[in-house]
Amino acid sequence: MRGKARVNLNTVIVLVFLAICSIGVLYPIVYVVSAAFTPGSSIALDIVPFGSGVTLDHFRYLFKNTNYPIWFRNTFIIAISTSISTVVLASLGAYVFSRFRFTLKKSLMTALLILQIFPSFIGMVAIYVILLRVGGLNTLWGLVLVYVAGNIPYNTWLVKSYIDTIPRSLDEAAIIDGASHFRVYWQIVMPVARPILTFLAIASFTGPWMDFIFPKLVLRSADKQTLALGLFSFVTDKKNQFTVFAAGSLLVAIPFVIFFIATQKLLIESLGASTVKE
Amino acid sequence: METSISLEPKPADAGGRKKVLIASIVFMGLGHILYLKQYLKGFFLAAVEAVLIAFLPRITKALINLQTLGEPKPHLPIRLRDNSIFMLIDGVVVVAAVAVFIATYIISVRDALTEYDQSRGRTVGIRESINKAFPVLGLAPSIGLIIFFVVVPLVFSACVAFTNYSSPAHIPPNNTVDWVGFDNFRALFGGSKIWTQALGRVALWTLIWGALATATCYFGGMLMAVILKESKIRIAPIFRTIFILPYAIPSVISMLVWQNLLNATFGTINRTLRALGIISVSIPWLGDPTMAKFTAVMINLWAGFPYFMLLISGSMSAIPQDIYEAAEIDGAGKFQVFSKIVFPIVLYQTAPLIIMSFTHNVNNFGAIFFLTGGGPVVPDTTVTSAGGTDILVTWIYNLTVNLNQYHYASVLAVMIFMVLAPIAIFNLQRTKSFREGEL
Repeated sequence: MRGKARVNLNTVIVLVFLAICSIGVLYPIVYVVSAAFTPGSSIALDIVPFGSGVTLDHFRYLFKNTNYPIWFRNTFIIAISTSISTVVLASLGAYVFSRFRFTLKKSLMTALLILQIFPSFIGMVAIYVILLRVGGLNTLWGLVLVYVAGNIPYNTWLVKSYIDTIPRSLDEAAIIDGASHFRVYWQIVMPVARPILTFLAIASFTGPWMDFIFPKLVLRSADKQTLALGLFSFVTDKKNQFTVFAAGSLLVAIPFVIFFIATQKLLIESLGASTVKE
Repeated sequence: METSISLEPKPADAGGRKKVLIASIVFMGLGHILYLKQYLKGFFLAAVEAVLIAFLPRITKALINLQTLGEPKPHLPIRLRDNSIFMLIDGVVVVAAVAVFIATYIISVRDALTEYDQSRGRTVGIRESINKAFPVLGLAPSIGLIIFFVVVPLVFSACVAFTNYSSPAHIPPNNTVDWVGFDNFRALFGGSKIWTQALGRVALWTLIWGALATATCYFGGMLMAVILKESKIRIAPIFRTIFILPYAIPSVISMLVWQNLLNATFGTINRTLRALGIISVSIPWLGDPTMAKFTAVMINLWAGFPYFMLLISGSMSAIPQDIYEAAEIDGAGKFQVFSKIVFPIVLYQTAPLIIMSFTHNVNNFGAIFFLTGGGPVVPDTTVTSAGGTDILVTWIYNLTVNLNQYHYASVLAVMIFMVLAPIAIFNLQRTKSFREGEL
């Protein structure tokens, strides 16, 4: 009897602890949801969420009075192009690094590793001038080039260490049968490496959604803005439309949240696997 | 088949090999064309060298400009004056291009010799040429992009650290920029009192921030992972789903929301605490330098613990069940099992990611910029633009975007390099593939 009572007490303590943590985690989320539906544009939110009624005005405002749809479209184009280019280039490079021996290979790989630790905006003045010289300023492709170049060093490593685990006997057999290197890459290695490539595609797709520095540097005109720039402008620029910001943020965050919750099992597995491999 | 040929070179071929070597050195691709009958590759290589020779005058000019960075010509209209920054970047690009050319040259000579040993005289078809060029074609786009958008900008930054590129007197195109040697380093390391103090303060806080942010998120995540696994609560998955939310929400959004909630006067947190009668005076969450640092670490914990929770959950689920059972049979308590078995295994497996997380936090622009904006203002902020919670990267951003003090910003970038590069190399040397020489 006493043992059971103690177990129950432990469970209660744990439950209370988890409940307190949940409140802490949910606190800002509840307020941003509430702000998105709160009438008016006050930056001071109600102490009680949803305390002053519910309205859809801010969502209407977003679509009628701002360039929100254009920001969304631009961001989507940038994200999808970055994702596809990153997957193609990183996987090609990873395959070459994993399967071929050539001059300077070790130096190249070490260089990639050192390059990936820099936040790429350290070189932003130079990137600005280079894009100016090649006509890439205020274009979406200019921004994509910057992102892809920044993604390649780390992700080539990531994919390479995965391809290293694929048995070489698979592709050696194909080579003996007369397959070209490209065919081996495309029809043998790529299908086997699909898990890591899916992970990479998702990671490089989500990255550009909320980046701020480079869009600010590269994109100038109103029709080229991205979501991060647009949303940020609601809380600065002396506008202080926090409720509109909340509504816009909610629309971006919801797909992300649904996606993460739906794939949490996969996330745990892939993160767990990445530790064991080291 | 090919190997058997190359293993037994006929004595008469020594002269042939030498001819290929000399031809390849004299002009890139010549050996391929004359002796190897690899016309496609040979003409491509020759074209590369021809282009280089055609551009030689411009290359020389760019290199001279890189050395002088232009002359001040105040009498000319602004558009015609020398633009030192364009000269600097063009110079760096040219140096990079020449380096690539030299590497190509070396590779082409080596390739000619290998090809000679393997296939001597046999005509190589276009298909086979392309197939053999696969490693080069596969890497070329990546390397090209990295050189122009990663390496050149970084080298440029490093170069700027040795110039006086700064507002107000040295901003092209109105004025030129000059090489100044180590002047900027001297100014920041003792020469100028206010800048030296600011640098010491920011560098120290960057390291403390990196360590605290990593440690709090790691142990916070571990605590949650262990509790969710060990407590046999049926609704644990619901809690896990809740705890993933901060990881799923883009950090720009969550940090800006926290900034609003934590505002001293209109922020919901202070007003709630006042309404509940817990405090009578508003807490300056982001208004006091020490308090703001504490707040930044706490909010970063909110945003960062889910990553390690997921990571450690994954790592713990990979521990074989029989280890637990064996420990239980031996009479180990739950705490002993954790401290003697689970913790060491998890720590060992996640160590490289802890180091990576540290470098990530040192560079975590968003967690500071969108939450505190670097603030609050401290005595030297008006001159240096470094606020109470600014870390090196946000300070670099301020120096570049607001103050146009590019020269000091670049010195900071060089410093980040000197701190982080050894850590990255150390991390690399621990990995399995490096130790086993598979790299």
